[in-house]
Amino acid sequence: MTPVLEIAGLRKQFGGIVVANDVNLAIKKDEVVGLIGPNGAGKTSLFNIVSGLIPHDAGTVILNGQPIERLSMHARARLGLTRTWQNIRLFPSLSVLDNLIVAPRYYPGESILRAAFSPGRLRDQRKKITERAYNQLEKVRLVDAATRFPTELSYGKQKLVSIARALMNDGDCLLLDEPIAGVEGAAYEALKNVIRSEAKLGRAICIVEHNISFVRDLCDRVLFMFNGKILNSGTMDELMARDDLAGLYFGSET
Amino acid sequence: MEYAASIFILIGLFVILAASFNLILGYSGLMSIAHPIFFGLGAYTSSLSVMYFHIPVIAGILLGIIVAFLFSIALSLPALRISGDYLVIASMGFQLGVLQIIRNLDWTGGAGGVTGITPLFDEIARTSVLSYVALVFVAAAATVALVAWIVTGDYGKAIAAMRDDEDAFKALGRNAVTMKIVLFGIGSACAGFAGGLYAHYFLFISPDQFDLLYSAGILTMVVVGGMGTIMGPVVGAVLLQVMPQALSFLRLPAAITGPTQGIMFTGLVLIFLFLKPNGVLGKAPPRKTDDGDDDDLASVNTSPVVGKR
Amino acid sequence: MYDLTLYTQIVWTSLANSSYQVLFTVAFALVLKVLGVWNFAQPALMAASFYCMYAAIDTFGLPPLIAMGIALVFTGVFAYAIETYAFTALRNRNAGPIGFFIFTIVASQFVIYVLTLIFTAEPRFLLGNMTSALHIVFGVYVTSWDIAAIITTCILIAVLYFFLHYTRPGQFMIAVADNAELAETYGISKQRYYAMAMVIAGFLINTAIFLLGSKIAFYPELSLHMMLFAVAATIIGGIGNVFGAGIAAVVIVVMQQMSVLFIGSRWQPLFVFVILFATILFFPKGVRFRGS
Repeated sequence: MTPVLEIAGLRKQFGGIVVANDVNLAIKKDEVVGLIGPNGAGKTSLFNIVSGLIPHDAGTVILNGQPIERLSMHARARLGLTRTWQNIRLFPSLSVLDNLIVAPRYYPGESILRAAFSPGRLRDQRKKITERAYNQLEKVRLVDAATRFPTELSYGKQKLVSIARALMNDGDCLLLDEPIAGVEGAAYEALKNVIRSEAKLGRAICIVEHNISFVRDLCDRVLFMFNGKILNSGTMDELMARDDLAGLYFGSET
Repeated sequence: MEYAASIFILIGLFVILAASFNLILGYSGLMSIAHPIFFGLGAYTSSLSVMYFHIPVIAGILLGIIVAFLFSIALSLPALRISGDYLVIASMGFQLGVLQIIRNLDWTGGAGGVTGITPLFDEIARTSVLSYVALVFVAAAATVALVAWIVTGDYGKAIAAMRDDEDAFKALGRNAVTMKIVLFGIGSACAGFAGGLYAHYFLFISPDQFDLLYSAGILTMVVVGGMGTIMGPVVGAVLLQVMPQALSFLRLPAAITGPTQGIMFTGLVLIFLFLKPNGVLGKAPPRKTDDGDDDDLASVNTSPVVGKR
Repeated sequence: MYDLTLYTQIVWTSLANSSYQVLFTVAFALVLKVLGVWNFAQPALMAASFYCMYAAIDTFGLPPLIAMGIALVFTGVFAYAIETYAFTALRNRNAGPIGFFIFTIVASQFVIYVLTLIFTAEPRFLLGNMTSALHIVFGVYVTSWDIAAIITTCILIAVLYFFLHYTRPGQFMIAVADNAELAETYGISKQRYYAMAMVIAGFLINTAIFLLGSKIAFYPELSLHMMLFAVAATIIGGIGNVFGAGIAAVVIVVMQQMSVLFIGSRWQPLFVFVILFATILFFPKGVRFRGS
């Protein structure tokens, strides 16, 4: 089966620092892949390169068989690749619901011509999108928060909203950057369930995380990254059993 | 009578300029100092095309709008492909460059400007003056309404999100560059419209009227009136016309009133910038309310929502 | 008709004239590199510097070099104040690029208005009617001003280069330029180096103004119009490459002067605009290839 996301020979260098050193990675449908490693290993940078925030130096990124490494960020998103951010980055000027409404792959309100010349169609499309937005909020159990503003919510709830926003894309590939860092209790369980059910829907998911039990519970496969290179892969237990990796992880906190 | 009419017309034109610049800077977050140049391009295109091609004045004004729009795209397209910073610089270069070209060409009237422009209404009768005032006021109201229409509703949501966090916005699949080009184009086209209205009333235009001085003036109107608000530019435009008029009652020599007016309005911007930053830089985000159903860690103490610049 | 002497003359004169442009450009590029700010308040510094010198010479009758020294202090303090009171306040309020944009442009305009009120818009020479001694070397006109300008600029640039690459404060300044937060964790105060960079820029501007003012007549708005050149050269040299910007400044001035052989003199000033747009279209990262 062709992988949903395929990264081959990816390289990126900033000055003297190589953040991505010949990275190869493939994620299939229904798969949840974990990406672990100490701070500074290049995990978030990898997400930044794959999503298009920073340009690559060499290598390819293929989404559903189509090379996307030369496309702009928004073009990649429109092909079904979404990501969440380590620092959440919800839009503070918009309500929770609006944060989701501007997030689907095609947002009809983005075209001013449409707004001017076919307001009727726009209204219908908006209704459908609003419905979908409520569906996503339901998944994360935050329907009540729809009219609130992001800054009014607790940290955990903001993280849930950001996942819901990413899900609006309805894409095949989801990159989650530390989705449960700083989250406890009910939100933690809710997040885990959401990710699990989205994987079952056929999405390819890659998660950067530090929380070992979370990764062990959710991920089919785990990759260990260090200094821009993927050193090893296996299940969480296999990786943790290796002393050398544990040493790198815990011994070298930058 | 005619003096009062001129003041009102200038206020109306300034409202158009301020409202359209507010769309560009206040709402879309695009930094540009070239707004006066689109005003000038509209004025020059309209007056020269009527003068040389003998088309009706209305057609000239329309042509002015189109030319301003096209030039704005020529400016924003290459610059915004790179980043917002480049638009500032490109706009500076564009402003100074176009003025330089106008000053050096004969058919634009050179540095002396264009005189004897065909007026929109043929007689300089009282009724035509009043009609012009009415016309400008309608145009001003229409511009403010246009901006209001753009920034509320679905498109407005996108604009707000783009201003909040452009990278997160793009990562969702939104084409921020296209949106900026469109908004810059609409704002500049409005300035071009004002240019046409200006030329066919005052009947004289020169490069000096569209120089950097006016960039600061328009910036002042928008900033002092309230950036990112709909009525703000109206307030700013009125203030900027009324203040200097008040000063002119003192009957000081022009060499003093000119700079003093400038000091007053730039000083106001500086005061507002430092004493009332939210009024200038956008509304403060809603306060964080205490959420009883608390999931957050005690250690999280900064609002993590705002994206890094 | 075009002979070697003519070419040499143009090259020599343009090299000399590029002196103050290099200093303005390097000042602007340095602030951009270290503070990350497009310092459109530089015209304010330029104009203030000039009129300080002018007042010292014209009103108080002080000798030019003393006047320059006083203005040096004044400009340094002004630059320091801008960073410490204005930029810091804007940073603390998370003003973002728009806040800096508004402040710097309006601050320049404000200072220009104040100076226009006090000194009027009449162009003034710094050194009155003093003309500089003229020599003829191999058929090329060389003035004392030319020589002084070139030597001064070379010395200042060399000193700056040495400072940035071979002294500790210079290295720290570069560290702050590359990554201010990281530098702070190493105990380097970014505040201090921001201020230092601004003051250095102030010194460069002051010297350049002295050179400029002794050659051509200055009026308040001139500083605003000259800004574009520094901005264009900074981009062409590559953002972050301070000395590349300086080289770009020399190249543009020389090319602009040389262009008089091909295009009419009234189109010469447009040269820098064309170069600017060409750069934005084709070389947005700068013509000089940056190492990092």
